[in-house]
Amino acid sequence: MILGKASPEDMNLHPMRYQWAYDLYNQAVRNTWFPHEIALKEDLEDWSKMTEDERHAVKFTMAFFNPAELIVNRSIALGVYPYLKSPECHLYLAKQMWEEANHCVGFEYVLETFPFDREKIFNVHLETPSMIEKEKFVMKYLKRMTEDKLDIETAEGKKDFIRNLVATNIVMEGIWFYSGFMVALSFRQRNQLRNFGSMIDWVLRDESLHLKFGINLIQTVLEENIELLTEDFANEIRQLVIDGVNIETAYNKDLFPNGILGLNADYVNQYVQYVADRRLQELGLPKQYNVTNPAKWMSTATDVLELVNFFEQQNTKYEVDSGHTKKPTSNN
Amino acid sequence: MELTITKRDGTKELFNADRINRSIERAAFGMIDPIAKVTQVATDTKVTLYDGITTEELDLATINAAVQNIKENPDYDKIATRLLLKTVYKHVLGDYGEDQSQLKKLHRENFSAYVKKGVQDGILDSRMEKNFDLEKLASALDIERDELFIYAGLSSLLDRYSVKNKYQKAFETPQYLFMRVAMGNSYHEKDPTEWAIKFYEKMSGHEYIAGGSTNINAGVPNPALSNCFLLEIHDDMTHISKSVADVMLLSKASGGLGASITKLRATGSPLSSNNTTSSGPTPFAKIIDTAIRAIQRGGKKKGALCFYMENWHIDFPEFIEWKHNAGDDYLRMRTADTAVFISDEFMKRVEQRADWYMFDPKETPDLNELYGKAFSARYQEYVQMAEAGKLRMFKKVPATEQYRAILVALQTTSHPWLTFKDPINLRALNNNTGTIHMSNLCTEICLPQDKDNIAVCNLASLNLAAHLKKKQVDWQKLEESVRLAIRQLDNLIDINVLPVPEARKSDSENRAIGLGVMGFSDAIEQLGMPYDSPHTYDFTDKIFEFISYMAIDESANLAAERGSYKNFTGSEWSKGKVPIDTIEKLEQERGMALDVDKKSKQNWLDWETLRGKVKNGMRNATLMAVAPNANIGLVAGTTPGIDPRFAQVFSRNKISGKYLDINHNLVTELKNMNLWDMVKDKIIELQGDISSIEQIPPHIREIYKTSFSVSPYAFIEVAARAQKWVDQALSRNMYLEDRDMDKTMDIYYTAWRKGVKSTYYLHMKPRHTAEQSTVAVNKSAKLGKTGFAAVFKKTEAIVEAPQELATAAVEEPPIEEKNDQPESFDMPQDKVNDIKPTVTIPVDQTSKQIFSNVQTQIPLNGDQQPAASDKQKTEGHFHIKVINGKEYKVHMPSDPQEKFLCDGCQ
Repeated sequence: MILGKASPEDMNLHPMRYQWAYDLYNQAVRNTWFPHEIALKEDLEDWSKMTEDERHAVKFTMAFFNPAELIVNRSIALGVYPYLKSPECHLYLAKQMWEEANHCVGFEYVLETFPFDREKIFNVHLETPSMIEKEKFVMKYLKRMTEDKLDIETAEGKKDFIRNLVATNIVMEGIWFYSGFMVALSFRQRNQLRNFGSMIDWVLRDESLHLKFGINLIQTVLEENIELLTEDFANEIRQLVIDGVNIETAYNKDLFPNGILGLNADYVNQYVQYVADRRLQELGLPKQYNVTNPAKWMSTATDVLELVNFFEQQNTKYEVDSGHTKKPTSNN
Repeated sequence: MELTITKRDGTKELFNADRINRSIERAAFGMIDPIAKVTQVATDTKVTLYDGITTEELDLATINAAVQNIKENPDYDKIATRLLLKTVYKHVLGDYGEDQSQLKKLHRENFSAYVKKGVQDGILDSRMEKNFDLEKLASALDIERDELFIYAGLSSLLDRYSVKNKYQKAFETPQYLFMRVAMGNSYHEKDPTEWAIKFYEKMSGHEYIAGGSTNINAGVPNPALSNCFLLEIHDDMTHISKSVADVMLLSKASGGLGASITKLRATGSPLSSNNTTSSGPTPFAKIIDTAIRAIQRGGKKKGALCFYMENWHIDFPEFIEWKHNAGDDYLRMRTADTAVFISDEFMKRVEQRADWYMFDPKETPDLNELYGKAFSARYQEYVQMAEAGKLRMFKKVPATEQYRAILVALQTTSHPWLTFKDPINLRALNNNTGTIHMSNLCTEICLPQDKDNIAVCNLASLNLAAHLKKKQVDWQKLEESVRLAIRQLDNLIDINVLPVPEARKSDSENRAIGLGVMGFSDAIEQLGMPYDSPHTYDFTDKIFEFISYMAIDESANLAAERGSYKNFTGSEWSKGKVPIDTIEKLEQERGMALDVDKKSKQNWLDWETLRGKVKNGMRNATLMAVAPNANIGLVAGTTPGIDPRFAQVFSRNKISGKYLDINHNLVTELKNMNLWDMVKDKIIELQGDISSIEQIPPHIREIYKTSFSVSPYAFIEVAARAQKWVDQALSRNMYLEDRDMDKTMDIYYTAWRKGVKSTYYLHMKPRHTAEQSTVAVNKSAKLGKTGFAAVFKKTEAIVEAPQELATAAVEEPPIEEKNDQPESFDMPQDKVNDIKPTVTIPVDQTSKQIFSNVQTQIPLNGDQQPAASDKQKTEGHFHIKVINGKEYKVHMPSDPQEKFLCDGCQ
C-alpha cells in the first residue's frame, strides 16, 4: 500500500513497487536548470515599452507565483510526503520540492532584475482578496491534515489525503498555474519578454512532470483503496475542482481589469475552464464546461518541438545528464 | 459589450465589425471557401479585444488571429501575410484606400522619394541617389512578388533587415528592401542601374538571398556587409586586449565571429615579465564572452562568437566544460559557443586506442601551424620529449576517453562542435598565405588568419526550391543565379566598410566569398526523394558539382575582366586545381582513402578546360560555403541550408518571435489525397512526426520524415557528397534521438572517415516535453487508469452529456499494449548485429567498425517501403517489424519509462 504510517521498511528502495515514481525522478533530474541561465537584458527593454495594463498583468502573475510555489512545498512536506510509504515517491518529492524552491528563486531572480517595487509585489497576495481566496482554498485542505488529527489508516484520513492532493496538485498546479503560464507565454507570442518566456518553458516542463506524478499518485491510491470510489466522494472531488475554477474567475478579473492586446479576463476564464475539463477527465470525472481552447497559439508556444536559433535564444530543450546516466538494464 | 477603439490621434470611435471583416475578406482573396476563413479570423479577433484598444493593436490582433489558425490550414498564413503587408504599405506609402491598382501606382511613384528622403535623412548612402536612374529602377519593381512570402518570412524580413526611419518606424516595403540591397551592391558597375535590376530580379524572386549583414547594411552609409570574421588571439597581453576591442567592433558591424585561443599558454605556464604563472585561456575568453553580450546590434542580430581550441591544449578538459549550465560563472561562457579543432592524428589515435598527449602551447608553439603528416611527425617528437621528461608540463589520457568526453559534453550542452583541422587545411586552395586555425561561428568558413589578417567572408545563398520546374531542376536558371550571385558578392567587397584594418586587409587581398544553398530538403521533397536515400545522395553530387563549376567559371571570368585577387599567386588555384582535385592530397597525407563515392554525376561538365582557365586567374580566394541560413531560409520560405525538416510541424524560437512552421509541401500532398482534415490534429499531437499515422500512405511517410527519424548517417553522407565540390565547408547540423555513446562516437568517426570538414550544432531530441495545450490530453487514459470513472459506470452519469468521454477513457488499452509509437521504419543503426536489412550500399568502401554494437552503414534502400499490411509484434526489448517478408528488429527505447515519458505528458 502506498499510503500508511511510516515504518522502518519504508527506507528500502528495493524491491521497487512504484517504478513510475522512480522513472519520474530520473526525468526530473535530467530537467535540472538554473535561473541564471536566462539573460534578461532584452526583456528589460521590452518592459520599458509595455503599457500599464501589460505591466500590471506581469506583476500580478509574479505576485501570485512567487509565494504559490512555496505553498506547494508546504503542502508536499506536511500533507503528502509524511503519508507515503514508498521511498521512490519520497525521492521524487524531494526533487519536486527542490524544483518548487528553484521556481520561487527563479521568480525572485526576475523580481530582483526588473524595476519593480518589490515590497509591494510581495504584499499583493496578502492584500488582494481574489488572491487571498486562492491561498485559503489550498490551505483549508492542508489544515484538515495538519491541525486536525488525521489518521491515514482510516477511510476519512485517506479522503483528506486525496482532497489535499487534488487541491494542491490538480487545482493549484494543474489549473491555476497553467493559466498563469498561458498568460506569461502570451507576451512572447507578441515578441515581448522572450527570455522570461524561456524560463516559463522550463517551469512548465517541470510542472508537467509534477502533474504527472500527482495523477499517478491519485490513481494508485484509488486503485489500492477501492472503498474511496463512491459516488459521493467522486462528486465531492468534482465540486472541489469546480470551486477552484470559480475562485479563479475573480482572480482573472483582477489580473485584467481592462484587458491587453490579445487577452482579457473572459478569454483567460475560458482557458481555465478548458484546462479544468481536461483535469476532470484525467480524474475519470465528467467534463463540466465543454468549451474550446481560445488560445490556439499555444500550439506554437508549447505543443510542438521547438527549433532554437541558439545564438539568439537560450535553448531550453537540453537535458543535463546525457551520456552519464546508466540506462536500466532489467529488460536486456 | 460596447467596444471603443482608440485612434492614432487619441480620439475614440465605436468598434466597427464590418470594417474588420472587409479587411480580412480582402486578405482572403482568391481562396477556396473564403467565408469560413473570414468568419474564423473575425471571431478569433473579437475574443481578444478590450475596450479602448488602439487601432494599431487592432491590426495586430487580426494578424495574430490569422496566425493562430495556420495549423488548421496554410491559407491562414496567406491571410496573415497580406494583413501584415497592408500595415507596411499604409505606413510607408500612406492611405491607398485598399485599392490594388492605386497601391501599385503609389508603390512605383514613391520609390524615388524613398531614396531621396533616405539620403537626405542620412539613412541611405548618397550613392543610392547619384549612381542610379531611379525612375528606371522604380518601373522594375514588382509588388506582386510580395505574394511569395510566408508570414514568418515576411515578419523576419521586416523585423531584422528593413531600414527604419528616425522614429524607428517602417521606412521601406519588402520590394524597396530588395532593391536597396541590389543597388547597394552595384555602385561600381559601369551601368549600376542595369546590374541592380538583375540582382533585384533574383533576390525579389527568392532565387538567392544575400547574407544577413548585407541585407541590413547594403545601401546605408558606411556599409558593413560581411557576415563572418575569423580572428586568432595571440599569446601576449597586448594582443589579447586588442582582440577584445576587435571583437566588439566587428560584432557591432554585425558579423559573427570565430576566435581561436589555441595559442594562449596553459594554466600554470610561467610568465617571464613578472616571474608568476598564467591563469590559462578561460579568464580571457570570459572577457570576450561578456563583451559580445554588450553588443545587441539594435535587436537585429545578436553578438555571436565561437571559440576554437585544438584538443592537444593542456587546458582542453576545462574548455569542454565551458558551456555547462552549472559551476563557477567565471569559468563558463554564457553567450559564446565553442568548437574543437581536431587533427587526423587524434582520430587515428582514437581508432588505434592509443594515448593522447596534451601540451602547453608555450612549449609546443609550432603545433598550431602544422597539419597533415608534418603535424603528426612533430606531435610524435613532443610525445617523446614529454616521456623523456624534457617538457615542463604535459597530460596523457587514452584518446578514446577524450573523444568520449567531447561527445558527452556535446550531447549535454550541444558544445563543443567538432571540426576537422586536416581536411580543412589539406583541401584548401587558399592557404598559401598561412594555416587555417579555425572555422567561423557556423563552421562553414575555411580561411587563413594571422596577426596581420582577420579573415572575412561574404555570403549569399541560392534557394534550390526556387529552381524547380515541373519536377526538374531548371539548370539554366540555376546557372544564371550562380553567376549573378558570384558577381554581386564580388561587387560587395569593394563597397564594404570594415572597422578593423586587419579585416580590411584580408578582405581586399583575398576577396573571399561563400555562395551557399538553401531549400535542399524543400527541393528533394518536391522531387519525391527521402533525405536518407541513395537518390538524394546522388542528387547532392549533381547539385553541388554544377554550382561549384559555374561559380568557379564565373570567378575566372571576373578575374579576366577585373584582375585576380592579390594572393592568387602561389595558391592551389594558380596551379590549376579545383576543389575536387584536393581530395587526393588529403588521402595521401591521411594515409587512407576517404569513404565516399568520388565519381562525377555531371559527366558533361568540362572540368579540364576550366582548370586551364583557373590557372590564368581567379577573382576570389574562395567561392562556396553553405551557411545554416536560419534566417534567410525563413525569409525565402524554404528549409535552411542542407538541413532536413526539423519536423512536419514545429515552432521556431527566434529573436523576432516564435513561429509555427508547417510543411506546405506535405499539406499540399495531404490535401490532394483528401487526408489533411483527417490527420491535422494528429500531426500536432505527434509533434510533427507522421511516421505512425496509418492513414497516410507509406511512401509519403518515407519522404516526410522528421530530423530525428532520418538516419544520422544520412546527414553525414549528404555533407560528404557536397563537401567534395565545396571549397570551404558546410554548416552540418546534426540531430540525434539515441543517446547511446558508442553510436554517437561512431557517427562522428564516420563523418571524419568520409572527409567531412566540420559538423555544427547537435540537436538532441528531448525525452520529456511540457503538457500540450491545444490537443486532447488524458494522462490517466495513457496509463490505462480510470480513476473515478468506475463510479459513474455503475451508477450512470450524474450530470449532462460528456459521459462517453469518461467511458472512452476506460476503454483505452494500457500503454504496454500499444505499438503506435512514432517510430520510423529505418532504424537499423541500432543493435542489429545479426539481422541486417539487405541494402545496396551507395559507397565505395565501408568504414571499419571500431565502436561496439554499432552498424555504420546507411540504412534503407529507397525502394524498401513498408506496406501498410506489414505486421508488427513485440518481442522483449525489440519489436519485430515484417517488411516485404523480412523480419527486422526495431529497437524500442531501452528505458520502458522513456517511452511513457515521451508521450505521457501529452
